[in-house]
Amino acid sequence: MLLSRRLAVGAALAFAVLAGGAQAQAPSGKVTVITSFSKDVTDPFKKAFEKAYPGTTLEVQNRNTNAAVKYIEETKGNNQTDLMWASAPDAFEVLKGKKLLQSFKPSATGIPDKIGAFPINDPDGAYFGFAASGYGIMWNERYVKGNKLPEPKEWQDLAKPAYFDHVSIAAPSRSGTTHLTIETILQGEGWAKGWRAIKEMGGNFRQVTERSFGVPDAVNSGQVGYGVVIDFFAFSAQASGFPVKFVYPTVTTIVPANVAIVANAPNRAGAEAFINYLLSPQGQEVLLEPSIRRLPINPAVYAKAPEGYPNPFKDATLGARVKFDVDVSEARTAAVDALFDQLVTFQLDGLKAATKAIHEADAALAKKDNAQARALVSEARDLIAAMPVTDAQAASPEIRGAFTGGKEKGARQAELEQQWAAFAKEKYAQAKAKAEEAAKLAR
Amino acid sequence: MSDATAPQRAAPIGVVIEAVNLSYGANHVLKDVSLEVAPGEFFAFLGPSGCGKTTLLRLIAGFARNDTGRVLVGGQDVSGLPPWKRDVGMVFQSYALWPHMSVRRNVAFGLEERGLPRDQIEARVDEALALVGLKHLGERRPSQLSGGQQQRVAVARTVAVRPKVLLLDEPLSNLDAKLRVQVRRELRELQQSLGLTTIFVTHDQEEANTICDRIAVMADGAVQQIGTPMALYERPANLFVANFLGTANALEGRIAQSGAERVFEIGDAIRLPVPAGATPPAGARLVFRPQDVRLGEGPGVPLPGVVAHREFLGASIRYAVRIGASEIVVDTPFRAGDAPSAPGEAVTVRLRPEAALWLAA
Amino acid sequence: MTLALDRPRRRLFLSPGQAAVALAIGLFLLAFLVVPVATVMYVAFTEKGTGAFTLVNFLDFARTDLFVTSFRNSMYVSTMSVVVASALALPLAYITTRFEFRGALIIQTLGFVPLIMPPFAGAVAMQLIFGRNGSLNLLLDDAFGFKIPLMEGLNGVVFVQALHYFPFILVNLSAALRNIDRAMEEAAQNLGCSGFRLFRRIVFPLALPGYLAGASLVFVKVFDDLATPLLLNVKDMLAPQAYLRVTSIGIADPMGYVIAVVLIVVSVLAMWLSARAVKSGDYATTQRGGGGLARRRMRTWESAIAYAAVSFILLLVLSPHLGLALLSFATVWSFSPLPDGYTAAHYARVLGESSVYIKNTIVYAALAATIDIVIGGAIAYLVLRTKLIGRDLLDWAASAALAVPGVVLGIGYLRTFYGVTLPDGRPLATLWIMIVLALAIRRLPYALRACHAALQQISVSLEEAAENLGATKARTVRRIVAPLMAGGILAGFISSFATAAVELSATLMLVQSNSDAPLAYGLYVFMQSPAGRGPGAALGVIAVLIVGVCTYLSHLVIERGQRQRGAAGAEVKS
Repeated sequence: MLLSRRLAVGAALAFAVLAGGAQAQAPSGKVTVITSFSKDVTDPFKKAFEKAYPGTTLEVQNRNTNAAVKYIEETKGNNQTDLMWASAPDAFEVLKGKKLLQSFKPSATGIPDKIGAFPINDPDGAYFGFAASGYGIMWNERYVKGNKLPEPKEWQDLAKPAYFDHVSIAAPSRSGTTHLTIETILQGEGWAKGWRAIKEMGGNFRQVTERSFGVPDAVNSGQVGYGVVIDFFAFSAQASGFPVKFVYPTVTTIVPANVAIVANAPNRAGAEAFINYLLSPQGQEVLLEPSIRRLPINPAVYAKAPEGYPNPFKDATLGARVKFDVDVSEARTAAVDALFDQLVTFQLDGLKAATKAIHEADAALAKKDNAQARALVSEARDLIAAMPVTDAQAASPEIRGAFTGGKEKGARQAELEQQWAAFAKEKYAQAKAKAEEAAKLAR
Repeated sequence: MSDATAPQRAAPIGVVIEAVNLSYGANHVLKDVSLEVAPGEFFAFLGPSGCGKTTLLRLIAGFARNDTGRVLVGGQDVSGLPPWKRDVGMVFQSYALWPHMSVRRNVAFGLEERGLPRDQIEARVDEALALVGLKHLGERRPSQLSGGQQQRVAVARTVAVRPKVLLLDEPLSNLDAKLRVQVRRELRELQQSLGLTTIFVTHDQEEANTICDRIAVMADGAVQQIGTPMALYERPANLFVANFLGTANALEGRIAQSGAERVFEIGDAIRLPVPAGATPPAGARLVFRPQDVRLGEGPGVPLPGVVAHREFLGASIRYAVRIGASEIVVDTPFRAGDAPSAPGEAVTVRLRPEAALWLAA
Repeated sequence: MTLALDRPRRRLFLSPGQAAVALAIGLFLLAFLVVPVATVMYVAFTEKGTGAFTLVNFLDFARTDLFVTSFRNSMYVSTMSVVVASALALPLAYITTRFEFRGALIIQTLGFVPLIMPPFAGAVAMQLIFGRNGSLNLLLDDAFGFKIPLMEGLNGVVFVQALHYFPFILVNLSAALRNIDRAMEEAAQNLGCSGFRLFRRIVFPLALPGYLAGASLVFVKVFDDLATPLLLNVKDMLAPQAYLRVTSIGIADPMGYVIAVVLIVVSVLAMWLSARAVKSGDYATTQRGGGGLARRRMRTWESAIAYAAVSFILLLVLSPHLGLALLSFATVWSFSPLPDGYTAAHYARVLGESSVYIKNTIVYAALAATIDIVIGGAIAYLVLRTKLIGRDLLDWAASAALAVPGVVLGIGYLRTFYGVTLPDGRPLATLWIMIVLALAIRRLPYALRACHAALQQISVSLEEAAENLGATKARTVRRIVAPLMAGGILAGFISSFATAAVELSATLMLVQSNSDAPLAYGLYVFMQSPAGRGPGAALGVIAVLIVGVCTYLSHLVIERGQRQRGAAGAEVKS
C-alpha cells in the first residue's frame, strides 16, 4: 500500500507537470469540483461553463464545507479533486495552512482588491473571491404576522423579549458562514461586548441547527420566525416564492465566497479555466440569476443587475463598518466555535431559562420600579455575559494546541470543554436565581 | 398415579348432543349428530381422521359453533357460552403446555383464572401433581420433560380445576407403543377414581375398546353406531363399523327362494341356506369375523376354495382363501406341530350362517 | 415428543468447502468492516501528543457532563421509543393475526412503509405536519387555541423514532404470533382465561422472542440514529454528539470516536441481552403444531373499533408520507395547514435530470441486498449447522455492523481504500462498488437475522434425507436448504434492499461523482436549497414508491410460496 501510494503521488506529480506544460492548450475532460453550494447555484454555472469550454464536463460533488475540508484532507494521498468551491474564507485558510491548495494567477481584470473592508483574494494567490455575500436576518412574514411580532433591523433587536423562542441560527462549528457572522460581531463589538450581544440574542434562540441550510429551511416552512443567515439564502427563497424578508444589520460584513485549486489537481488546466471563467464578466453575470442572487465582485456587472439589487461598491453602509481581520479570526477559530457550542448550543435550556427570568423581571420592573431589583437584574445580565476566557487566552498557543490534537501534549479538548460548560451552567443558574429574586422584589 | 387419594368431588354429570349440524362453508362437517354421555361414563368418539370426531369434541369445549341443535352439559345448554365459561376440561393432542411457565405454573393457571386464594391454589396444584405422580418435577420447564411426563402434566393441569367433564383429544397419539398401553390404563384408573365424565377422541379402536365404557363410531361427519365395545364388535350396525372394529369378511349376494327354503346366492356357484328366524333384506351382505370360520372338517356349510395367501401371526395363522369371485379371511389357531396349508392348496372353508350377521348391501 | 430431539443437531464434521466459505466471509468482514472501523476507532484509545495507548479518553467521557447527559438522554429516548413503537405495533399485529380481518396483507405492507423514509425529506415533511407550526398545530391553534408539542425535545425524538421504526416490531411480532400453536391459546380458554388476560398471560409471552427481536432492533437503531435528533435540533444525545465531533473540522479530538465506541458497545450489549432473555429451548414448542392463532370473526362493534384503531394508527404512521406527497406537489408551503398551490413541475424536473439517481439506487440497493443474503445465509448456515470454531464470532461481527455509525464506516472506507490504487491510478475508494459494499455491510444484520430465522425452522432431518440419498453438502444446500429458506431469504432481501435504498450517512462520504450518486444523495443535494424542496420531496416519493412496490411484490411471492408448500415460511426479521 505504501508502494502504491508513492507511485500514485509520483504519477500525480508527473501528471501535474504535464498539465502545467499543456496550460496553453484548451482545457478539456472532467473537472471535479467539491462544493457546499446547492444545485441551484452549481447547475447554472455548470451549464454556462461547459458551453463556454466545449469538451469539458464539470463534475460537481456536493458536501457541506466541513465535510469537504475533511474529505480533501483524507484523500490527499491520491487526490482526485480539482477545485474547492465554497463560501467560508476560513475553510480555505485551513486548507491553505495544511498546504492543500495550489497557488495560481487568474487572468480576469477589473476586480478590485477589497469589497467593503474585506480583501477579495488571498495575498498568496491560494484562493480567490468570486462573489460576495453579507450576513443578516431573514424572517417569515406569515409567521411574524400570525404571532404579531415586530420586524428587526439590528442584531440587538433579536435580544428583545418579543423575540423569545422565535430565532434560529446555525452552530458556527457546523456552518462556516455563521462562524463568520459570529466573528464579525466579535470583531465589530469587541470580545466581551460581542459575546454579551451574542448571548443576549442566544437567550431568544428557538434552535441551533447543525447545518447552514437548516435555518432558512425552518424559516421558509414557518417552523421558526427569524433566522440569522447569509443573504443569498433569503434571496433565493424569495425567488422560489416563499413569504420571507431579509435585512442587513449595520454591523455586518460583506465577505467573498471563494474558489481554489486543490494541490495536485488531476486536471489543472480545467481547474484554471473554471476559475478564469468564474471571474470573467460572463461568469459574474451568472450570479445575478434569481436562483443564485449573489453579489458580483466585478463592479461593472452591476450595470446588468435588476432594480434594487444591493451593490456594496455603491452602498457605503454595506459591510464597510467592520474591518474584518482574517488573521485574528483564524487564530481563534476553534476556540470561538467551541465556546459557542459549550456556552450557547449545549447550554441552550439553561441560557433560555435565565433569559426568560430576566425578561419577566424587566416586565415587572417596567410596571413598578425598584432600585434593588434593577441592580439584581443587571448582575444577572453580567453573569450571563461572563466569559471563561479572554480573547488573548482564546488565541493563545495552549488553547489552540488543545484543538489541533495529535502533535503536542497538553490540555485535552474534552477537559477544556467540560470546564467551559460547567462555567456556563453555573453562571446561568445564578443569573436565573438573581432575576427571579428581582422579579419577586418588583412585585 | 393411582396411589394418591382421589379428591372429593361433586356428583358427575352427563353430556347430551342433540341433532347438531356444523358446516364450514360447503363442507358439512357434522351431520345431525345426536348422542348421550351418561354421568361418570368413559365415552369414546372413534373414527378415521376427518370423520368429525375432533370437531365434535371442540364443539363441546366451545371452540366450534353448531349451526343447529343443542349441546347440553349437565342439562344446561352451553351452545352460546364461550370456552372460558363452560368448565369442561380439555387435554390437547399436543398437550399445549405453555413453554414460558414451569410445570407448577402451568397446573396453577386455571385455578388462578378462577381467582382462588393463593394457599388453596398451591394445595390443589400439589394434589393434582401428586395424582399424576409428578410432584417432584414442579419447578421444571415443559421442555425439560419427557413425552409421557408432559402428557401427565397436561392431564394434571386440566383436572386441577375439577371440570364438569374431561375431554381428551387423542392424548396417547404422541407416545410410543409401550408407554401408550401404560398411560391408557392410568387414564382409566384416574377417571374411575375421580368418577369424572370423560370423552375420549381416538382413531385407534384398540385404545377405545380397552378403556371406554361406550363408543360412538363416527364416519363422514355422522354417528354410525353407539354401544359398548363388545356390542359394537358383535353386532356392528353396518359394514363400516364392522370393518373399523377389527377385520370382517363380507359376502355380497341376494336372497332367493329355493323351494320352501330361502337361500343366499353368491355369484352362480355358492348357495347358503338362510337360517330360520333370520330376516335378511333382499340384497344382503353376510358379515362374519375371520375367527368364526374354520378350515377342514367340522360344523358349518362347506365352501371349496384355494389358499391365495398366508400370514403367520404367532398365536394364529391368517389365510386368504379364494372362493369363486370372492376372497375371505380365515384365522386358525396355531399350535406347535401344526402343518399349515400352503398357497395354491385346495381347502374347504366351513361357514356357519347362524353365527354370521346379515347387513343390508 | 421429546423436544430435545427436535432441536437442530450440530454436525460434527466440517467439510473443506465449509471451512473455505467461513474463511472467505471472515476475510470479507475483516476487509470491509473490521479494518475500516478500526482505522477510525483506534484514535479513541490513543493519548494526545504521544499516540500511546490509553483509556483516559473514556475517563474524560465519564467526567464530561454533556456526555453523561447525552448518554442518559439516549437511553431514555431509545427505551421510550420502544414503548411507543410497541403501542403502535401491538394492535396492528394482534388484529391482523388474531382476527379475520379484510386487508391484513395491505396493512402488513403499509406497516412496513414507515421504515422507508428518505432522509431530510421525511423530516421536512414531518415538521410540516406535526411541527410547532405544522398543519396539525396550526389547525388546533386556530380551532382551540392550543398546540401539541409533538416534535419538541427528547419526546419529539421519541415520537418521530417510534413512527419510523415501529415496523421492526410489527413485522417480527406478527410472524411470532402467526407461529404460535393455536392449542396454546385454546388450552388457556379451556381453563377459563379470555380477553386481555389471555393475551397478557399466554399469547404475548409466547410471542416474546419475536417481540424482543423487534424491540432490540428498535432500541439499537434509535440509539445509533443521528439524523432524527439533529433534524429536531436535539444535540445532547450520543449519536449526534459523535457525528458533530467526527465531522467538524479543526477537531482532531478523540471524543467523537470514544462516543462511537460507546455506541457500539451498548448496541451489542442490547442485542446480546435480548438474545439471552429468551433461551430458545423454552420456546421450542411455539414453532410446532398447526395453524397459528385461531382467527376469530369479529362482531360488528368489535370490527368498527378495530377498523378505527387500525385507520388511526396507519394515518399516524403514514402521515410523514402524506406530507411528503403533498410537499412534492406543492408550490409554496409555509406557515399554513396546506400548500398554497399544487404543481407537477417538481416531478418533471426530477425525472428530467435525476433519472440516473433512480437507476443507481436500484442497482446499488439490489447488489447490496444480494451480497447480504449470500453472506447472511452462509453465516446462518455455519452457525446453525456446523461446529466450526469461531462461527459465533462471524455472527457477532456481522451483527455489530448494525451499531457502527454510517459516518464512521464512510470515513473508515476513505482511510483504508483511498491509498489503494487501481492500475489506472484511480483510488479504489472512488469506485461506485465501494458504495455498494458499504451499503451491504450496513444492512447485513437484517439479512442475517432473516436467514437465521428461516434456517432455524427447517428440520435437520430434511437435509439428512438428502445426504442419505447421495447429495453432497454443497448440493444439499443448493437443492434442499436454499429452496426451503426462499421465503426467509426474500424477506431478508427486501429489508436490506428497502433500507439500503434510502441510506445516506455512509454514502454521503463515499459518493465521488454525481453520475455515481444514489437517490438519497440527490435528495440531500436538492434539500439544500429553497427551490429544491419540491423536487427533493418528489425524489423522496419516487424512492418510497420504488421500495414500496418491490416490497409488495415480494410479499405476494412469499405468500404464494407459503401456500404452495403449506409450510411455515418466512419470518421477516428486518
